[in-house]
Amino acid sequence: MLNRKLSRRSVMAGLGGLVAAPMLGVSRARAAGSVVVAAFPGSWEDAYRAAVAPVVKAAGTELVLAPALAQDQLAKLLASQGKPAFDAMMVSPGQTTEAIARGLIEKVDPSKLKNWSKLLPAAQTEWGPNVTVEITGFAYNPNLVPKPKTYRELFDNPVYHGKVGWVGFGSNTATLAWVEIAKAFGGSEDNMAPAFKILAEHLNKGAVIANSGNQQMALYQQNEIAVFISSVGNVANLKARGVPCEFAHPTTGSPALPVALHLVKGAANPEGVYQYMDAAISADVQRKLAQPPSEILPTNTDVPLTDSLKSFISDADIKNLIYPNWAKINPNRAAWSAEFDRVVKK
Amino acid sequence: MTRGGIPFVAPMLALSIAGFLVPLVVLAAFSFSDPAGGFGMANYVKLFADPLALQVLFDTLALGFKVVASTTLIGLPIILLFWHAGPRERSLIVFLTLLPMLVSNVVRTFAWIVILGRQGPVSQTLAQLGFIPAPRSLLFNETAVVVVLSQIELPLLLLPVMAVLSRTDRSLVSAAETLGAGPWRILATVILPLAAPGILAGWVLVFASATTSYVTQSVIGGARHIYLPQYIYREVGVLFQWPSAAAIAFVLLATTGIIMAAMAMLARHPRLASHG
Repeated sequence: MLNRKLSRRSVMAGLGGLVAAPMLGVSRARAAGSVVVAAFPGSWEDAYRAAVAPVVKAAGTELVLAPALAQDQLAKLLASQGKPAFDAMMVSPGQTTEAIARGLIEKVDPSKLKNWSKLLPAAQTEWGPNVTVEITGFAYNPNLVPKPKTYRELFDNPVYHGKVGWVGFGSNTATLAWVEIAKAFGGSEDNMAPAFKILAEHLNKGAVIANSGNQQMALYQQNEIAVFISSVGNVANLKARGVPCEFAHPTTGSPALPVALHLVKGAANPEGVYQYMDAAISADVQRKLAQPPSEILPTNTDVPLTDSLKSFISDADIKNLIYPNWAKINPNRAAWSAEFDRVVKK
Repeated sequence: MTRGGIPFVAPMLALSIAGFLVPLVVLAAFSFSDPAGGFGMANYVKLFADPLALQVLFDTLALGFKVVASTTLIGLPIILLFWHAGPRERSLIVFLTLLPMLVSNVVRTFAWIVILGRQGPVSQTLAQLGFIPAPRSLLFNETAVVVVLSQIELPLLLLPVMAVLSRTDRSLVSAAETLGAGPWRILATVILPLAAPGILAGWVLVFASATTSYVTQSVIGGARHIYLPQYIYREVGVLFQWPSAAAIAFVLLATTGIIMAAMAMLARHPRLASHG
């Protein structure tokens, strides 16, 4: 009976419809009143789900978090230009520069953000608010290694050999560290050769090369490594979970990595994005995010640093922050990434 | 298939066309394009001129063959146990084979970090028995990747073989014994030829899965062992070289496809197929 009802014509029509559906934009159908935003996976995603989503919900919009690393967000937007998979992105200056150059994000209208005036002036950019500044340095296990002081020491001092984890140029945090390592060995923001040379020499001394920062954290918790390049937030997260982990600032200065929210060009729900941005920069939310386990440094001037955050970052450390020149770094990043693979490949 | 059966496979057919065939055609077209808007073989030429890419391709295929060999060695005793077991024991063996598949590959891969880690049971035992001077990490080498993938892919080899052997008449072994064949001769001339179609089907599945297993390859192998899935990810997610990534993906598809087709043809060989 079924084969009589389902004629060849109706089957072919069904097949055609299925194939044509994505071309007609059916895939963009979303629940009314929702906004899809990309967020860093792991502790950021958890923190935003717990602290930001309820505030956006109270404003009448459901916040859907799409976990993706900064570079992955850029790749996904490039892959779906004109039909973005998410309405807002969460990235660092490296990706912001790329997103602007490739026309993937829009300037924001500050008048739509009632908490805008509460932000630190440096956090008010025409392309969107900075929700924090990630401060990067050394995460280390005080039970296994002495406190590291310089990048150079990780290569020169045998006590660290076989105990340091490294990641390639897909990670912003790692990219900043490699720039500092290049400087320590005579290179610069656009001369990475000394860093590759010391890495190649170091491979025989048991350097552990992981594929991502998250993978490094898993290895750290299993005592496979005792030192890795990290943000303060990741160290705070590990400490909150009872893992022995401390943060050390490099004596040459700690590279800083602002994290910004951007309105994606062609976003399905721009008003929802403004609600989301406003929630993320509000004092109430940033006060919650500054608490363990997320311990995200606030950019809202009404939110004081917690005692715990003060234990990681002193005023002297803040004065010693390094803001790298991404305009110099970005053009080289692809080539460095390819070269990194060539150097580490067994 | 009779014409009346077509509507029943239509949903799967539609899904395959929309979810696999159409994207595959798009991917193929993409692999022949270049960022400047041109069309040609440049991405393939670049790929085959790059020693790193060729090494990655070779390593990926070698990994597939090593995992196939390893799962076969580990699986053979289980296959023999299944052959000799009664109905109840056979059900238990099938259940135990399926059991690991109820846990996600990602979870199983991360569990292996603990097992093969510096403080894991393997390293600790080896150190205590004096085989190594001190506990050390057994991760981040190809042997570890092969071991972990063998454990993960083993059910893909065992299940087709068990399906074939379940339908096989065991009196053939009795007949061979009656004719004077010893245990090894029975294994070589009766059991293995009977199981051959299942083994070949299992090899195809294990090879395809092992060569494309991004999570296990990257987590257990680390960044120093690069296989094609990681290479494609780097081209897409870090370098944004999609035409190049599409070309690499097609080379992976073509090479694994050719090898799998060869295995499938072998399985359909009259001498092997007749035993099934």
